[in-house]
Amino acid sequence: MDSGKALYGLLKAIQFQECAVFCAMSEGLKLTVEEGKCVQASAYVPADNFTEYHVREDVDVMFKPQSVHNVMTDCEISTQTADSVLELRDEDASEVAKLVLKASAFLGLLVDLERSCDVMELNLSPDHPNVSIVTYGMQDRSCIEVPKSSDMMQSFSCEQAVSLKYQLPHIRLIMKALAISSKVVLRCSSNGLLLLQLKLEKDDQRQMFSEFHIVPLLDDY
Amino acid sequence: MKCHVPGPNVKVLGRTIHALARFGDELYLESLPDSILLRTLNAAESAYAMIKFNKNFFSHFNYNFYSTEDNEGLKCKISMKSALNAFKSPTHMDKQVENLEIKLDPESSKLIFQLKCKHGIVKTYYVSILDCKAMQAVYTKDLVPNRIISSPRILSEALGNFQISDDQVTLEATNQSLILRNYVDANIDLTKIIRTQISLKPSEFDSYTIGDETTITFTLKEFRALLAFTEALNLPLQLHFETTGRPAVFIVHNGTTFEAHFVLATSKPDSATQASTQNSSRTDKKRKEVNNPVGSAKKKPHLDIDISKCLDEDSHLFNYIDIPEEMDLRPIKVTIDGNSGDKANDPEENMNFDIPGSPTSRIKIKSVFKRCFENTFDPRSIERIVLAENSDSD
Repeated sequence: MDSGKALYGLLKAIQFQECAVFCAMSEGLKLTVEEGKCVQASAYVPADNFTEYHVREDVDVMFKPQSVHNVMTDCEISTQTADSVLELRDEDASEVAKLVLKASAFLGLLVDLERSCDVMELNLSPDHPNVSIVTYGMQDRSCIEVPKSSDMMQSFSCEQAVSLKYQLPHIRLIMKALAISSKVVLRCSSNGLLLLQLKLEKDDQRQMFSEFHIVPLLDDY
Repeated sequence: MKCHVPGPNVKVLGRTIHALARFGDELYLESLPDSILLRTLNAAESAYAMIKFNKNFFSHFNYNFYSTEDNEGLKCKISMKSALNAFKSPTHMDKQVENLEIKLDPESSKLIFQLKCKHGIVKTYYVSILDCKAMQAVYTKDLVPNRIISSPRILSEALGNFQISDDQVTLEATNQSLILRNYVDANIDLTKIIRTQISLKPSEFDSYTIGDETTITFTLKEFRALLAFTEALNLPLQLHFETTGRPAVFIVHNGTTFEAHFVLATSKPDSATQASTQNSSRTDKKRKEVNNPVGSAKKKPHLDIDISKCLDEDSHLFNYIDIPEEMDLRPIKVTIDGNSGDKANDPEENMNFDIPGSPTSRIKIKSVFKRCFENTFDPRSIERIVLAENSDSD
């Protein structure tokens, strides 16, 4: 691999847990971290990012995603037996909405959300305004509305209105990754699971990805 | 009330809110037929700020949008935190925000800020109204003998020399010069602090009129906030003040669209010359008295009395808690009370001879209450504490 810089940035962005599951596949590397079975983040590095890439056997190992590179350093990372990775995706659940957004603009919206809030409500609808993010503070309510005609929205598809609630601290976990990414795909499945796929473009035109699965908050009713 | 603020003015409004947030925790909004007033008062009631935005600050202004019969204008109080939330980063606001709509419905319990941003994004903040009362301070800004007009840069550069830990500044205004120095609390160890003094020549200012040479002390935190605000808007700052105990009024306006008044309570500086008078204890009361000269009127009726008194007699608050006659009978130590060096180096004596009823700071208040548990308990001291509390309980 030419430079570890981009990889380091990507790993930093998903480093909210001590341990990651490292999975080497013939297509590329995948590192996964989980937070309390609610958020799952993966960094995916396609094989073409590496100048040399060989996978001998398909084993899962576990290691700490710390400083990974250095020019002439042999970095030995002790591995542990991998825990099984939670399969958050439900094959039966269909996708109800898919949005493609500019990562920087989406980050700008998230930064503006009130810090004291715990819950974020995401409303998606085929009607105007297509996206609205509502946060409930101590006494106040604030609402951000984005129509699909907005510059930051590169594609929008949503057949029927959905309203989902997420833990705001969970949403905040993606902010670091958003900061280094160029584009984000946001998918909602019918069971409420939010999937964010972020694309990171490197200087050499190659791409790396990160992926976040976020479990929704269920209403009390 | 419904009004629209165009993009560039949103930045000004944002800066205003941020400046007001340095003063108080609550924001009072009042809409009048031709303007909107924003006011705040700090918790100690020693600093007050009022900013008036005229009709032409807005691109659309409808004071009676909901066509109520009540002609009094709408008033509301909101939490400063909520207001800040709507104006997170005023420096970038003009680039993102195209238009801001402020709506206040007399029936509703929410004040609505709706920001229309670039990319078609609309941000709406529904801010809870805490109260429907207005608050106003009584102060005189005209007819005062001392007036200075200055560019805020001169003053903020001067303040840059002060320590961050300094919390009060003393302004000594004479016809020859304006001296700024950090106020040194009487019971701080003099070996541990830095005294700063800056002298500014009248020629440095745009206008300099001192009709009555005086020395005033006021809080630095709010002064810094209002200077930062003035500097950001690049407008001259007018300083109107009388004498110790009367509020100092800072005025910023751009002529047509808005006018800001910042009122800071002043108190007497600590210096040996003043302390040698019979009312030596005055200097000691600074911290407590500072709370009073500026008061809120409508909100707290009983304060009205204080204010009117304040206007009738010069700094009545000092006289009000003035120490009874036996003051003079006490040891010499008392008369040099204001001399901070003496006291600071001698905490033991401080305990025994200090004037009980007029603490300079919280540290001292503690020591006063401690006296109640000591053998040398003096019932008079209790009396004075009560007096002091009465004046402060508002």
